[in-house]
Amino acid sequence: MGKYEGDPVWDDVVPIPQDDGEGALAAIAYTDEYAEAMGYLRAVMAAKEYSPRVLDLTEHIISMNAAHYTVWLYRASTLLALNSSIPVELEWVNNVALDNQKNYQIWHHRQILIDHLYDSMSSDPAALKSLAESEVAFMTEMFNEDSKNYHVWSYRQWVVRKLDLFDKGEIECIETLLRQDVRNNSAWSHRFFVVFSNPKYCTPGSKATEYDPKIPGEILDREIEFAKAATFEAPQNQSPWNYLRGVLKKGGRKLSSLECFAGEFVKIPEVGEEDIKSSHALDFLADVWAQKGENEKADKALTLLGDKYDRIRKNYWDWRRTSLK
Amino acid sequence: MTFLRGKKQRVRFVRRAVAGHDRPNNQQIEQPELCSQGRSDTLDEIFESLFPFVLPGKTASMIPDLFTTLPPIRDLLHTGSSQVQDETIQECLPFLSGLKLDIECNEHGIPHLDRKKHITFLHHSLRNLPAPFVAADASRPWFFYWALSGLVAMGEDVSQYRERLISTLAPIQNSGGGFGGGNGQMSHLAPTYAVILSLIIVGGAEALDIIDRKAMWKWLGALKQPDGGFQMCVGGEEDIRGAYIAAVIITLLNLPLQLSKESLFWSREATLLTNLPEWISRCQTYEGGVSSRPDAEAHGAYAFCALACLSILDDPHIIIPEYLDVPCLISWLSARQYAPEGGFSGRTNKLVDGCYSHWVGGCWPLIEACLDGPSISSGDHLSAPLTSVGHLYSREGLIRYILCCCQEQSKRGGLRDKPSHNSDSYHTCYVLAGLSSAQHKWHFNTSATKTESSGMLTAAYQWTSDPILEYSQIFDEEDRVNTWHPIFAIPEGASERARSHFESKGGF
Repeated sequence: MGKYEGDPVWDDVVPIPQDDGEGALAAIAYTDEYAEAMGYLRAVMAAKEYSPRVLDLTEHIISMNAAHYTVWLYRASTLLALNSSIPVELEWVNNVALDNQKNYQIWHHRQILIDHLYDSMSSDPAALKSLAESEVAFMTEMFNEDSKNYHVWSYRQWVVRKLDLFDKGEIECIETLLRQDVRNNSAWSHRFFVVFSNPKYCTPGSKATEYDPKIPGEILDREIEFAKAATFEAPQNQSPWNYLRGVLKKGGRKLSSLECFAGEFVKIPEVGEEDIKSSHALDFLADVWAQKGENEKADKALTLLGDKYDRIRKNYWDWRRTSLK
Repeated sequence: MTFLRGKKQRVRFVRRAVAGHDRPNNQQIEQPELCSQGRSDTLDEIFESLFPFVLPGKTASMIPDLFTTLPPIRDLLHTGSSQVQDETIQECLPFLSGLKLDIECNEHGIPHLDRKKHITFLHHSLRNLPAPFVAADASRPWFFYWALSGLVAMGEDVSQYRERLISTLAPIQNSGGGFGGGNGQMSHLAPTYAVILSLIIVGGAEALDIIDRKAMWKWLGALKQPDGGFQMCVGGEEDIRGAYIAAVIITLLNLPLQLSKESLFWSREATLLTNLPEWISRCQTYEGGVSSRPDAEAHGAYAFCALACLSILDDPHIIIPEYLDVPCLISWLSARQYAPEGGFSGRTNKLVDGCYSHWVGGCWPLIEACLDGPSISSGDHLSAPLTSVGHLYSREGLIRYILCCCQEQSKRGGLRDKPSHNSDSYHTCYVLAGLSSAQHKWHFNTSATKTESSGMLTAAYQWTSDPILEYSQIFDEEDRVNTWHPIFAIPEGASERARSHFESKGGF
């Protein structure tokens, strides 16, 4: 006898079996436990039942299959309908998330929970602060498992906007991660978001790829120095090079303002062999020289990239050469 | 032919390669230099010492050293990212160098596409699945799409599955519109996309007509968000997959563009497409790539969603530059290809993975059409654009990665992420799609006398392809796979047939 079939709590529910159609393709051989639980879920959903036993049922199903969006969404609706304790739910979700690193649904569920909790505490700064701290602490735990987890980072961007975490603490968190691995591009990407979407000084709605005249000069300087320092640690790391280009574009500054810096990694003598410590520096200089009209130098840099330092992208570098004229 | 025989040499290769890989750690302390010119000598030495013995004087030119040596510039600083990157190179090199004893290669050092095994693998993926597949209970329709599209690409007739597909899908459609991941599950755009494409692949009116288009249209109205994007399901997350899939559904099913009255944002002016390209534009990041939603990190799969969605809304050379910074995007996209692996990664400083052969590889035809502009047809004459940018990535690199590294060698068959991973139908589908895209040239065509009477959202139906034929083709002709539509990723021609079927209905 199944878990629910023999349970008096569920006496009143007639489970709805799965209709798989005739000769179903890729039919999954469910365990009896899963098939039974899903039968009860279909029944409670059909009856639009939102009750404590639905929370137990959904928890049980999630323990067998955490990638089940319907179950998550129905659980969220049930929690909100019952006015259940969100902190208790968050605690439980933390454990599920740690066990299911690649899961999409958990993060959306969390977003629903925080949204709801936020409404109840939006006038209580102390409560909000403690919520922010516990969220950050949990994400740190997730990053210990995988510091590039896309779902966690997307959720983090959402939390930063929701709880207004555009502050020094957030930048320090990123720097901790970058100290562990300066090639963690997710951390770089998050830094760009935190710095250049800060409502205190950014133009609302300014896109990541466009100039924002409102960014203070000292912030641009700080970011440029930060990325430059990282570049010296590992010149062939593309992340800070992309970051520098992004910062210059945001600040409306010319690439040539960093010509000297990029030149640190590129020595092309009149005679003899060149010394290239970073293909990204060479790429950067090719753009600098093209913008300054020094096409011959730019062409030489792009040729070196295509023929020697980044040959897999030769077609791309050649295309860049054709656009020099 | 097999390049190498005898176990001794293979063992020697592996040991030396590993020793080379360990070296940077030690050097980090000893050398104050910023970086080293890579130690590309290690493998060269092995090649010189081994190949004359096997194939005198011939081999070196057959596999370009780009694919058998370490990158020319490598930093000494050791981090988690460089560690896994080094491991990936070491894992791929024996396959790229033709040093795997059990794999037969052509004179370019490339194995055949093991069509027979991959076909069997995909047929098997449609049989009953064992209990551990319960994790796929909410994404089962994807299995149909991955298998059917992969099978057709390899020349299989899938009409045998038509009836069973129809009876499998009928119970997962919801009366409120759309399909769920299974019976009794909420409608969700991801399985709905997989269902619609699967039905179009098997084709025929009886398959296409199971879709309740009117309910679908109403449901899409409920998913539309005021900022222009789409939720994946009612109350679910909003991301760029939703934008792409919604556009795919609207155009393939020929749905009306106006919002249904059920939509929370209904107004006389608003349509399903209102602010959609603007929303996509907000997903482009400072790196040039595209993220799943505004503020997140650039990622290959989302770049494809963005480009394909825009290319449904209008001609690529018109709409892509209007909403995306194209030079920045191309720079980022190009940087996704690594050597010696040859394959694509999904993000900066992440590893190559066979599935990006489609997600990143599939961006190139759209980008090339964007740069080239259309071929103009007048009557039965088709004139190509005056100048073509050609291919902006290394087709050879991608083809090498796919055929050398992504084929499961055991009798299981199927294609995979990288040699250390098992094959699955997801990778089999998207690796094959990438292979096809590297073997064909796509043209976007406009008619000199464009008529407006041809209906809405017609841009996706103006693509034609040619096989790329070249003197020094590195793969054997029998390994060319069939073409996949550059936007819908289903066999060429199927989307046109579906669209005209639904157009012929007039209304719902």
